[in-house]
Amino acid sequence: MELLIIPLVFALIACFLPKQSLKYVSIAGAVTSLVVALVHTLAYCGSSHYVSIFDPNHVTTFGLTFKMGYDGMSLFMVILTNTIIPLIVLSNFKSEIASNKKFVSMLFLMQFALIGVFTSMDGMMFYIFWEITLIPVFLIALWFGAEERKKILTKFFIYTFVGSLAMLLSLIALKSTASSFSHADLVAVQLTSQTAFWIMGGFFLAFAIKTPIFPFHTWQPDTYTVSPMVGTMLLSALMLKMALYGMVRWMIPLAPEAMESMVPIVVILSLIGIVYTAILAIKQADIKRIFAFASISHVGLIAAGIMVFTKDSVSASFLQMFNHSLVAVGLFLCAGILEQRLKTRNLYELGGIAKLAPKFGFWFAVIGFASVSVPFSSGFIGEFLLLKELYQYEWIIGVLAGTTLVFGAVYTLRAYQLSMFGAPKHESFIDLTWNEWIVFFVIGMLVLAIGLFPQVIFDFVGPSIDKLMESVELSKNIVE
Amino acid sequence: MEALIIIFITGLISMFIAMTKKPFLVLITAMIGLLTAISSLVYQVNFPYEWLNYDGLKFDVFSNMYGIVALVFGLLIILVGYETFKKEPEHTGEYISLLLFSLCGVLCMLAFTDLFMFFLGLEILSIPIYVMAGSRKKDLKSSEASMKYFFTGAFATGILLFGIAWLYGAVGTFKIDEIAAAIQNPTTHSSLLYVGVMLILASFLFKVGAAPFHFWSPDVYGGSPNIVTAFMAAVVKLAAFGAFLKLFTVAFGGIHDFWAPALVILAILTMFVGNLSAIRQTKFKRLIAYSSITHVGYALMTIISSNMNNAFNLWTYLLAYGFSIIALIVVSKIVDDEDDELASYKGFARKNPFAGFVLILALLSLAGVPPLAGFFGKYLVFSSAFADYPWLVIIALVNSGIAIYYYLRMISSSMSKDDNEELEAYKINPVYTVVLAICALGILAGGVVAML
Repeated sequence: MELLIIPLVFALIACFLPKQSLKYVSIAGAVTSLVVALVHTLAYCGSSHYVSIFDPNHVTTFGLTFKMGYDGMSLFMVILTNTIIPLIVLSNFKSEIASNKKFVSMLFLMQFALIGVFTSMDGMMFYIFWEITLIPVFLIALWFGAEERKKILTKFFIYTFVGSLAMLLSLIALKSTASSFSHADLVAVQLTSQTAFWIMGGFFLAFAIKTPIFPFHTWQPDTYTVSPMVGTMLLSALMLKMALYGMVRWMIPLAPEAMESMVPIVVILSLIGIVYTAILAIKQADIKRIFAFASISHVGLIAAGIMVFTKDSVSASFLQMFNHSLVAVGLFLCAGILEQRLKTRNLYELGGIAKLAPKFGFWFAVIGFASVSVPFSSGFIGEFLLLKELYQYEWIIGVLAGTTLVFGAVYTLRAYQLSMFGAPKHESFIDLTWNEWIVFFVIGMLVLAIGLFPQVIFDFVGPSIDKLMESVELSKNIVE
Repeated sequence: MEALIIIFITGLISMFIAMTKKPFLVLITAMIGLLTAISSLVYQVNFPYEWLNYDGLKFDVFSNMYGIVALVFGLLIILVGYETFKKEPEHTGEYISLLLFSLCGVLCMLAFTDLFMFFLGLEILSIPIYVMAGSRKKDLKSSEASMKYFFTGAFATGILLFGIAWLYGAVGTFKIDEIAAAIQNPTTHSSLLYVGVMLILASFLFKVGAAPFHFWSPDVYGGSPNIVTAFMAAVVKLAAFGAFLKLFTVAFGGIHDFWAPALVILAILTMFVGNLSAIRQTKFKRLIAYSSITHVGYALMTIISSNMNNAFNLWTYLLAYGFSIIALIVVSKIVDDEDDELASYKGFARKNPFAGFVLILALLSLAGVPPLAGFFGKYLVFSSAFADYPWLVIIALVNSGIAIYYYLRMISSSMSKDDNEELEAYKINPVYTVVLAICALGILAGGVVAML
């Protein structure tokens, strides 16, 4: 329970604190949640059982059970959230918004809602938390975003809201036969493969818009571009992970009967997204847009991996989620640093920065390498496992998806080369401040550590994934 | 029954107290009367006792629950209106007692057991509103609103009476339980009955403002004084829907298959007409009017579906809706723009953070964002209809998706800033603050209560 209460308390007290103390309080809050999450992890490590954190043991007339709890997968996502939030706080530490109470309180509200999403074991609670996350991100982008944001944010909000309505429809449909909204009861519902198809379709629409998967991605590059750096980080590092987690936890177990018909659709859409957005990323001049398209491309691979649904592919997806979050924070921090110091994101106006700011140049390169999955970085293991599983699913898909590695190298290196090398186009460039350096250092260390010891993560989420696969197999067999 | 009598007597007393020309005294009287009536309803909500027996009215759990909400809304609206009343102290008594008399009509409409009482209740409810809609006599728009409301209302009443006459011809009784019993017998299923039911249905659709009988509502909402708009949107709709549900599920439940298909089509039409017109509006109250047409479309789903919990679902829905509408009307009073342009709400939340917060809360609740009351109302209504009409629910969800556009536009416009415009903070009256706080509480707590 304390996992949820701490962010909520900090969100509330942030409203009443004086300006000067805000940033210290926010870092304290973020670190406290991280420590609490780690304590939970140490207690949990290695087991596969379900740990309940809140269960009033009461079904309301409405069907709500308020069940909250975690298994390996949920806890993994909680750790991910609580690791990323301190990094986000730190990377904004010196900017103005760090001492803005609206920002701090919204950030903690976001953390609260995210942990709620990851620990809900009740369909309606999941939906409620899922919707709550939209508000802080929207408000942060609206308050602190770029000039032309209004229209774009409206588009973003409508897109995601409509997706959520589709999910609501699926939940209503499931609930019409289930006795309550608890995860177990919803899983127990028997569906014909046709209704299962529509129910999974509803969930998929919600998750595909949030992820985003091609052709539902059109809101994403614009929204990433107009959001402030922190908004982009929240969107890419945390919010889209909700959708991927939702696929594993809710979409597939709730309507496994539709896997047969749904998997090819999702895998092919993801594949189109992977290749198409990678090619788009190569041609962009705006550095933030490059990373935005890159994000769609990387996440498409994870989504395809989840849908293939073998043990290796799901484990690799979790690994890749962690990796993508770290890299996204790093890359958008790089873009944010460039934008904040030079007031431009256009690659053709940048150049030679590595000479002016060697520390920045070095860490940008590290993050860039992590993003293109060089060996010994965490991305290497994840992407190769995912590609292997896709190859085994259908060799041509694996081969085509593999091009993402090549394209990834092209756009990342192009962005790096144009901005960092060549003749300096600016007179001076302030090198990394201490807080930015810490963020890069932590990301770099984590990427390296996971790259060297990926087994830690596989062991952590593995038992829970085994359980999940068993239950899905079981309900598939009943239908047959 | 006691509540009805208390309110009626309070209305009379307020009229006489108004002769002292002390508006505050009238307000206090009305408050005391309403609070007494509310507590008497709350006290007997589950155990109605009848020491005053009258056949035509029966206060059961249903009418008590709806009645409590109607009276609470009435109380809030009188509080909001007090600022206006004060400006013309000689008319305060009239306003307040008209509102109270109208509330008597509401209670009759909720508790009726025969069509005669229902008709009386409807008239007692409507006539004070005809008067109040035109109370700004020098304002052309207000007079127009009053005229339109009166004509369409009178027309609807005529149709209703006509329908009741046909119905009487078919079943030979006014009592709703006897009608229900008679309808069980297929020999009564003559064209007399069918025409009667259809005419009654049409008049109800007039009263709740469903398409294609909705044309009066934007003009009347837009032209009437603010509190009358709030009263029509929150209280009258509640009473009309309560009576609608009671009459059609209890009395006409036996021929559900006959009237339900018509209502399904009209509900869909209502949702789309309301939403698609709302998108293009530039005036605040007209926007509210069109969006409330859409909400009528959602609420009609409870009447269509034959679900056990319909009364509760509709109640939750109207409760959430009413609190939001009252909050929006208070905001519109704070902005106090004669032309009621949407543009004047720009930056509202920056000028007054508290009222802005409630405005955003109300809009999000109307849009159906969890965990606010509006979401749960919507969820209950949709899920109850899902078993019988899955595609109707899909259409309703599509409409929720359309509606988010104009709610969101208002939300972001109320939070946007103009750099060259200096912010002049709105000072708000403490009464408004109290009403807004109650609405916010209702919107937030309504969700929690519905969940439990």
